[in-house]
Amino acid sequence: MNESLTIEVRLNGSPCSLEVAVHHTLLDVLRDEIGLTGTKECCVVGECGACTVHLGGQAARSCMTPVSAVAGQSVTTIEGLDTEAGEALQNAWVSEQVPQCGYCQSGQIMTAAGLLADNPNPSDDDITNAMDGNLCRCMAYPRIRKAIKSAANGGGA
Amino acid sequence: MVIAKQTPEMNRRTFLAGTAGTTLVMGLGVVLPGCSNEDAAGDLAAAGASKRFSPAVWFEISGTGAVLINIAKAEMGQHVGTALARIIADELGADWDTVSIKHVDSDPKWGYMVTGGSWSVVTSFTMLSQAGAAGRTILIEAGAKILGVEPAACRAENGNIIAGDQQVSFARIVAEGDTSRIISDEELAAMPVKAAADRNLIGKATRALDIPEKSRGVAVYGLDTELPDMVYAHPMIPPTRYGSTIRTVDDSAARDIPGYQQTLQISDPSDVIQGWALVIADDFPAAMKAADAVEIDWTPGPTASVTEAHILAEGEKLTEDPASGTLFVDEGDVAAARENAADMLTATYRTSTALHFTLEPQNALVEYVDGIFHIHSGNQWQSLILPYLASALGVEESNIVIHQYYLGGGYGRRLFGDQMIPAALAARELGRPVKLVFQRAEDSRFDCARSASVAKFDASYDADGALTGIEHAAAAGWPTLAMAPGFMGDGVDGNGKFDPFASNGSDHWYTLPNHRVRVINNDLAQRTFLPGWLRSVGPGWMGWGVESFMDEVAAKAGEDPIQYRLALLDAAGKNAGSAPNSVGGAARLANVLRDVAERSGWGKEMPEGEGLGVAVSHGQERANPTWTACVAHVAIDAETQVVTVKKLWQSIDCGTVVHPDGAMAQAEGAMLWGVSLALFESTEFVDGQVKDLNLNTYTPLRMSDVPELDIKFIESTEFPMGLGEPPLIAVPPAIGNAVFAASGIRARDLPIRI
Repeated sequence: MNESLTIEVRLNGSPCSLEVAVHHTLLDVLRDEIGLTGTKECCVVGECGACTVHLGGQAARSCMTPVSAVAGQSVTTIEGLDTEAGEALQNAWVSEQVPQCGYCQSGQIMTAAGLLADNPNPSDDDITNAMDGNLCRCMAYPRIRKAIKSAANGGGA
Repeated sequence: MVIAKQTPEMNRRTFLAGTAGTTLVMGLGVVLPGCSNEDAAGDLAAAGASKRFSPAVWFEISGTGAVLINIAKAEMGQHVGTALARIIADELGADWDTVSIKHVDSDPKWGYMVTGGSWSVVTSFTMLSQAGAAGRTILIEAGAKILGVEPAACRAENGNIIAGDQQVSFARIVAEGDTSRIISDEELAAMPVKAAADRNLIGKATRALDIPEKSRGVAVYGLDTELPDMVYAHPMIPPTRYGSTIRTVDDSAARDIPGYQQTLQISDPSDVIQGWALVIADDFPAAMKAADAVEIDWTPGPTASVTEAHILAEGEKLTEDPASGTLFVDEGDVAAARENAADMLTATYRTSTALHFTLEPQNALVEYVDGIFHIHSGNQWQSLILPYLASALGVEESNIVIHQYYLGGGYGRRLFGDQMIPAALAARELGRPVKLVFQRAEDSRFDCARSASVAKFDASYDADGALTGIEHAAAAGWPTLAMAPGFMGDGVDGNGKFDPFASNGSDHWYTLPNHRVRVINNDLAQRTFLPGWLRSVGPGWMGWGVESFMDEVAAKAGEDPIQYRLALLDAAGKNAGSAPNSVGGAARLANVLRDVAERSGWGKEMPEGEGLGVAVSHGQERANPTWTACVAHVAIDAETQVVTVKKLWQSIDCGTVVHPDGAMAQAEGAMLWGVSLALFESTEFVDGQVKDLNLNTYTPLRMSDVPELDIKFIESTEFPMGLGEPPLIAVPPAIGNAVFAASGIRARDLPIRI
């Protein structure tokens, strides 16, 4: 129960040694222990996408990721998103005026960055399939879609 | 009228300006009883603030000429700070690039603090305009002196006072000018507020000031806050909202969970929080684990077996009982029309329980220090919860500060900060800051859900088949009765009170020969849960019945639904409207209806299984109408009967649009909420609690369900009306009416399932 372990990760580009309780999720550790609160907590069952980070460059739901599973991996949060696609997306999010309450938007951007990393020129269906797991309760979906397209087309300047 | 209660001080306002150090401070508000304007102004000059002055509007110009505007409204995605700042900055002649905003913490000096009802721009526009104009006047007078010209030769533009080819910056005026002023109520009312044609910022494109932070993951929400030495609290919620009591607490299985501290029973003198305990732990995972391990045995309250069917049956019974409820509308003589009727048309409409499901779960971090409760929690109605907190804690409101944050979703849930109460009680008892966080299941169970509703319509017809009257009876749980009973209205029959936020929308702008609306509190709902204000409140579910029934009436008359409505929107009598809020009255509703008919191609031939439906709305209340008309294009799958919304058109007349892009974003979001409530999300009461607790079964609209949207704002310089909620209202009935057009099936329940 009180088993803890030390894991080495590459967190936002920097090597990091974490002593964590084995039953904690990556989300718990990021928000409460490291203090990176840009990644959000919401449904805690992997259904809303607000907790999305990149694990080894791939989008992952941190609320469903036991922290032990990230040992030796690279973890990127919204605070450390520095890929070209990521920058383009964040700029597009501003130029298209995407966020309303904003709570889901870190997760939206991280999922979108994962999409663009694999598929730099996604179709409408590609976007829907990739993004459908990210709930936006303010329903800013039309602008999320528009901003992804803008970033993909080299916009978002 | 509810809004009057927000600003009781409106009749004794003063505008004060004074330089404190290197900052010019300006405020519009009320000098407190027993104090003189001069005393308050003196304080301002000395300290930049005054306990003798309660400003509703407060802004500062720094030594560099930058403008800081304090915003007492909550930011929940509607970019309210940007809109309100644009109004002041336009009048002031400020350089928008130097403008910043600050969302303030609660303080008696701000007067009444509430963000909701789609009211922020409506209720602030005049005083912000006057305050900005007053500020500009002071800057012009001081600038004119510096330039050695007459004030009449000067104008304010982009942070400068300009006279011909001379100019002086705000920064220099703040440093050198004579800017101390006291401006009375009468002078304020005569302030030279800009004509619409002279506006530089209002109605022009801009970017919302909160968006950059939200696009980079650095916006701070209540849930993100931490304090040293804090503990986490996990709420243990009883089987019923009311009347459950804790019999035993057994935490033996939790004791060897590392980080678990104790389980605290909560006793709330304000009685808002009944039968609760808090599991206290060092960290949140430990609190969650311990909450699973702690066994609490409750004696359940009296509503532990109540189901949705019970609530709806009670609603039906009440709508059918002519002696129940109170009259909200009573025009003409509906009783006589019914008695003389040769024919009747009757229909009953129902809506399901719906959850707010804010993505940021309810939370509060409370620190009790030096006799002050510091509450860190995003909130929409500080002035509502402060008296409850004072009562729960046995202190004065002045001992409580609610620190404001970005809200991760409001939608009306954060109008009631009830979760602050147990967090504050625990913080004092434990002597450590307490961070109370709801898990998703608890958040859903503790939601102030939108009550299920039942609305019965009876239309009477004479022997010639002419419509002679409509009677409408509607029963639901009443949020205002539960949370803010002082805001209830008096029935027009003098018999009892009504909840305006569960009645508005039934008082439409159609001219009917006779019209009566009876509103009834569903007492079973009221006893079972705390009914909540959910985005668009009363009009949101009233509109479902009103506009679906209007469609049925048109169909019975064999007339086109739009032509039928237009004939009733004759703007006669009380429907003529009045200045400033409803200039044009029903004629403006007719206008958006004609506009959307044209843009949607209404009347064109539709493919098999597809149809167009129409509905209108006048927004949140007759006193503050936002005129909307919506056409929905639906397609119904022949085999599965699944309804798909292909496209929505909506034409919106909200008068002056302060922040056009923000307005469009609110229209997009509210319309999609309408689709979600019409087709995708609902829950039901089972054993006294809502059944659907998380996204596995509570399913708000996703990106794949988004229809095409075609939204048009009517160009107008009329007084600005609200937009956070109104674009939602016409959507569900437009969809239902489109389903009828496509299939001949009349949907009477929301969500629509055919």
